[in-house]
Amino acid sequence: MKKTNLIQTIIAVAACKAARSLMRLRGSGGTALPGKVAMAVAKNILEVTSAGMEIIVVTGTNGKTTTSRMLEHAITESGRECLANKSGANLLSGVTAELTCNATWTGKPKTHYAVIECDEGALKQVVPLIHPKVIVVTNLFRDQLDRYGEITHTRDEIKKGIDQVPETTICLNADDSLVSSLTFGIPNKVVYYGSDVPIGDQKDDGISDAKYCIRCGHEYQYHYHTYAHLGSFYCPECGYERQNAEVAVTKVNEIAATGSSVVMRIGAEERAVRVGLPAVYNLYNAVAAVCGYREMGFATEEIITALADVHSSFGRMETFDLDGVRVQMILVKNPTGCNQALEYLSSMKEDFTAVFCLNDRTADGHDISWIWDADFELVADQERDPSAKKLIVSGDRAEDMQLRLKYAGAQAGEIELVRDNDALLDLMRKSERPVFILPNYTSMLALRKVLSDATGGKDFWKG
Amino acid sequence: MELRICHLYPEVLNLYGDRGNINCMQHRLRWRGIDCKVDRVGIGDAADFTQYDLFFIGGGQDFEQEVLLNDLRQGKDKEIRAAIEDGKTFLAICGGYQMLGHYYETHDGVKNEFLGAIDFYTVGGDVRMIGNYAFRLDADANPGAQDIDVVGFENHSGKTFLGSGVQALGTIIRGGGNNGEDGKEGVRYHNVFGSYSHGPILPKNPKFADYLLSCALERKYGQASLSPLDDRIENAAHDSVMQKVLAGTTGSQD
Ligand SMILES: [Zn+2]
Repeated sequence: MKKTNLIQTIIAVAACKAARSLMRLRGSGGTALPGKVAMAVAKNILEVTSAGMEIIVVTGTNGKTTTSRMLEHAITESGRECLANKSGANLLSGVTAELTCNATWTGKPKTHYAVIECDEGALKQVVPLIHPKVIVVTNLFRDQLDRYGEITHTRDEIKKGIDQVPETTICLNADDSLVSSLTFGIPNKVVYYGSDVPIGDQKDDGISDAKYCIRCGHEYQYHYHTYAHLGSFYCPECGYERQNAEVAVTKVNEIAATGSSVVMRIGAEERAVRVGLPAVYNLYNAVAAVCGYREMGFATEEIITALADVHSSFGRMETFDLDGVRVQMILVKNPTGCNQALEYLSSMKEDFTAVFCLNDRTADGHDISWIWDADFELVADQERDPSAKKLIVSGDRAEDMQLRLKYAGAQAGEIELVRDNDALLDLMRKSERPVFILPNYTSMLALRKVLSDATGGKDFWKG
Repeated sequence: MELRICHLYPEVLNLYGDRGNINCMQHRLRWRGIDCKVDRVGIGDAADFTQYDLFFIGGGQDFEQEVLLNDLRQGKDKEIRAAIEDGKTFLAICGGYQMLGHYYETHDGVKNEFLGAIDFYTVGGDVRMIGNYAFRLDADANPGAQDIDVVGFENHSGKTFLGSGVQALGTIIRGGGNNGEDGKEGVRYHNVFGSYSHGPILPKNPKFADYLLSCALERKYGQASLSPLDDRIENAAHDSVMQKVLAGTTGSQD
């Protein structure tokens, strides 16, 4: 690898900062371009602008943003300065932009710590440059299939990243057979997290992303399920099985809309932990974060305190007040995440309006077939959920979404197709009921901008 | 009237929203007052294939195919071949489609022997054929199908070549199809419909869905006249994808 010299560094940093200022001036939230500009000047500028930092990387298909936010929140609340790529800029160009724009003019990092959310496919490009202290892998669900082909391929992409950083500690989800198989053949220190008890819907609905042993092809058995393919799996043929978790949920006291109360075992110690976010998947995010935090060498006390008041972020479950109408946005990008959001909606006692936004751009995956694997019946079928009073579809693939809702049991006349985000905003503003929006990735970005502007919220790239 | 549907290997061949096809057939039959019973027949399950009218086989992940081929060799292979020759209706998608042919030869020359129920074979290619695409059902291979255009999403690197006596399902309007070379898509053999259009091909192609159901009903009852349905939402989805395909765009305004 050619060394980047000081002149190149100064020019690259300046170019990166200039590009970002220019884009902000134009009111654009694009996150990749400043990084690309910097890389054009000095290809490996990221290695310079991250040198000497202690970095924790979070990757995996679902939950990486929330897990990253939990980590960042704990690190900053404990009085340390910490950088994070907040805006979903999780490819090489985005990570480069984030760290380079926050370096001094001579390319020295301004903070000692960073939490980096990294795309599974980009991990192999990013980690050799930033040498993270810890990598946390959340889970592997089918996602964006036309980008990666198959879920085992996504796993292999992550493995390629880990293979380049043998000194890094790897935190793996013990309950995910695909994730925990990353331990095969690596010299790294590996630590597991998970749930020692069944939580979630615990159903095996026959549609599993990992039904057969990744090592020998035999069907897995389970001592218990948590959700999707997660749980205490074992292969009766070759003996591959769930590993003991160092950080684990051992008891669930309450899972409610405002958060959950659980008992967590951290090493040998049992602690009552409050997680200020609803739903089972956030419990997984919480144990992942505690595990990673601990491996960074920080006091677990700090993250336990921070978890109680961690807030929804960036469209994952964010609430806006739109002239008195409560609008809650939940990002959905694959069947597992979508089902959890739909279950959350169907648990509502009050009437509501549900908005489904579906785009098919590169960041979303061009293939939207997955909507047929998600249980929209939970909300669209009035006999099953009479509280969803109005259904709205929007986005590039609004017609596909409309069709899905029809076959999920909605009456044709109940679904309204709204093409334009401004029209959608007007419609929501006039709503007499709270609104839930379930967008996929790029439609979430667009909607969030419209909603932030309308409610005077902060633009996401300003953090 | 009643159709009995067998969903073969739902636990393995379930990639890309295949469930949507079953969902669609169930609804379109029930909306017309025709009963419909779906059985899931998986690995290790014994089932009497003669009781079914329609078989659905979806797509799957490569490394799981070994598990499946072993199970086929326990006797399901013969039953499937018999059902096909008996004129039963099959919808086979992607990996399930490939499985009905002679073999799949990978890039590095490894040959996976498949069912050989229909005279075609598949070889691994260099380029992945991926994206929204469209084809028109061939009228000579599909008697009674008039001007049925099908839209879907293909995602395969395997290239399928049909034997000389076997007809394709349709002609590509835009996209890769069987092999990206001869402009053909899928296979139509007796009442077998094989296609690379993975996931939910039926919901947004209501004419094709009804044509397929008619084949199964005709085979069973000697005639099938399906009453028309309100397909405005179906056609809107069909047309929006067709527009994308004709305009050559995948994700719009990237
Ligand atoms: Zn095994």
